[in-house]
Amino acid sequence: MTLLEFTNISKSFGGLQVIRNFSFAVNAGEIVSIIGPNGAGKTTVFNLITGLYTPDQGDIRLEGKSLLGLEPHQICGRGIARTFQLLRLFLNMSVRENVMSAAYPRTHSNLAQIIFRTPGFQREEARIRALAEEKLGFFGERLAGAFDQLVYSLPYANRRQVEIARAMATEPKMLLLDEPAAGMNPNETQEITQLIGELRTRGGYTILLIEHDMQVVGDISDRVIALDYGEKIAEGKYQEVATNERVIEAYLGRKHRIQ
Amino acid sequence: MASPPLTTRRDALTRALERWNALPATARFFILLAAAASVPLLTSNDYVIRIAGNVCLFATLAVALNVVVGYAGLLDLGFIAFYGIGAYTYAILSSDQFGIHWPSWASLIFIGLVGLVSGFLLGSPSLRLLGDYLAIVTLGFGLVFAQLALTLDRVELPWHPGVIINLTGGTNGIVRLDPLSFFGFQLHTVTHYFYALLVWLALVLIIVHRLNQSRIGRAWRSMGEDALAAETMGMPTRRLKLLAFSCGSAIAGITGGIFAAWQQSVFPQNFSTDVLITLYAMMVLGGISNLGGAVLGAGVLAIAPELLRSPELARLIFYAALVFGLLLFTRPRRNGLLVLVSVIGLGALLRLGVQAFAPDWLSPPTLEVAAVSVSTAIDRFSQQFGIYVQGWIVLLKEPLLVGNLAFAVMIPALLALSRMKPGRIKLLLTIPAVYLLVFVWETRLAAEPAVTRLLLIGGLLVTLMIFRPNGLLGRRKVEIV
Repeated sequence: MTLLEFTNISKSFGGLQVIRNFSFAVNAGEIVSIIGPNGAGKTTVFNLITGLYTPDQGDIRLEGKSLLGLEPHQICGRGIARTFQLLRLFLNMSVRENVMSAAYPRTHSNLAQIIFRTPGFQREEARIRALAEEKLGFFGERLAGAFDQLVYSLPYANRRQVEIARAMATEPKMLLLDEPAAGMNPNETQEITQLIGELRTRGGYTILLIEHDMQVVGDISDRVIALDYGEKIAEGKYQEVATNERVIEAYLGRKHRIQ
Repeated sequence: MASPPLTTRRDALTRALERWNALPATARFFILLAAAASVPLLTSNDYVIRIAGNVCLFATLAVALNVVVGYAGLLDLGFIAFYGIGAYTYAILSSDQFGIHWPSWASLIFIGLVGLVSGFLLGSPSLRLLGDYLAIVTLGFGLVFAQLALTLDRVELPWHPGVIINLTGGTNGIVRLDPLSFFGFQLHTVTHYFYALLVWLALVLIIVHRLNQSRIGRAWRSMGEDALAAETMGMPTRRLKLLAFSCGSAIAGITGGIFAAWQQSVFPQNFSTDVLITLYAMMVLGGISNLGGAVLGAGVLAIAPELLRSPELARLIFYAALVFGLLLFTRPRRNGLLVLVSVIGLGALLRLGVQAFAPDWLSPPTLEVAAVSVSTAIDRFSQQFGIYVQGWIVLLKEPLLVGNLAFAVMIPALLALSRMKPGRIKLLLTIPAVYLLVFVWETRLAAEPAVTRLLLIGGLLVTLMIFRPNGLLGRRKVEIV
């Protein structure tokens, strides 16, 4: 079943054409990776999907329903959550609070219920708390015991994990992970690869990934899409895309084509 | 060799503060509430109770402003207008201006709605503005309100030509307002209104605290940290900002209504930009996004001007604060005692020196008689204490020039001192700095208390913010890691 359809999207900023007639689709339960050199437009694709930018042309559909014109928080409500390339956590809040805050779109307590602390409100608070612990528990040992620590005091790899947990707390259908392995050593990279697999099997999420680390891409993706200067240059299994001439040219330049 | 213990040295004061903070918030709230409620029982001086009422009034406004500025991050410079709208609405509904005399409960609920709606109306178009631009727009709104309050005493409706309505009373305001009355009981003394304001403050604190501990409070804080990330995580930032804005304005409105009933009148100058600035100072002083801070800041800035009005009380407070500050903010604490003793010694030395070489510079002790007395016992004690201090310090016959110079030197000296690394030199330099502080106090205050009152409040604010740049109870926000 097609979950996300990204059809004929073009986007330019002033005179700079960032995305050119780009189309792809993601099926439910898949892990799809978008690769490409820096400046290819990968994060722009994420920004378009989540509603931070509006495309000049084309359509984006989730489960057949168009996402165009919706505000970012509405798109999140429809079931798409993302992490950011350069982490955007709520630094002065605790780990638990970061994740609990993202449960907002699935909660309903109104002003009156909050002010009078009705049983409905208390039940919902307990549910949010349990949800946050469940999502954080996904990362097991790594974050255990740090739930009440302020996020800025956590090591980098742990902060990445908190951001993924926060995205999970919105209870999405689809996770957009922007360079989850960036800045990680080989050990941590291996952990992340495992994690993304578990997100699919245990969490049931469909995953769209932007990644530079080919090890991760190769190990985990069902499909890979290569982007260069805003255009799709290859699509298929990792092996096909990695050996595609145009892809190699994009990364390494014309002179380094492997014969 | 054994390594030093990892725990910092804690003495009685720090331990007491820790035990205080360890109490659950509810317990602390009730203790402070009980303490505040006992004020009218401890003194029958109406002046004191009026000050306490003012503290409650401004604390409520500061808390409401905190919701708008601290939680939603909206710089609203027209906030005072909502306070004024509430007050004027009460005046119109409960006076002979139009012969309307609504019951209090109806007025207050209606005022709450009016506050909510006006906050919504101002907020809606301005929320797409960011930061400084929002500040300018809201400032404009505040100024428009002030102007309307002044000029809506001659309103001519286009469909009733020739009929002139006096809506706001112009410069003369609206007077002879109905007092508040609930369940047949009419509030008519300062004490009654103090309790009404205290109850209202407590209610507001509870409501805001509960909002804070909910999904809305979490969303507000997330927005304050990173609005884009919050929006992407499903939080409707625009709606939440509007909510904060409207909540703040509704609370301000109702507070204005109670204020109008207390003062039994409303005048345009009650809602001037001066009041807004004082309000902001209270909130920032206490620490933005901190409920306790807002109340504390309001307390400091509502009480300080009054204290400084009475030279006796001001003197006692000053010296008490000085000694307290020395003992509290020096580590180890006995250093503070050392500084105190050295200052006394230095003072005595200087005095003896001047007495020996230029005795005709000195003047005998001068004493101010209090215009408003807080308590005769305090006055007498303070005057006696004053005589001793003025006998110890170098009190000049011509204090103006030297006093002004000393004041001009003192501020940068204190600034420089606060920037120094702790150590022997800093300790040594604290001694003449403290002496200078006391010298400035005795010379300038004795000369012109009315003029220096505001100067001293300004100095107080500057000093407090230097030593606690995030406000008295604020916490440093970590930005980029």
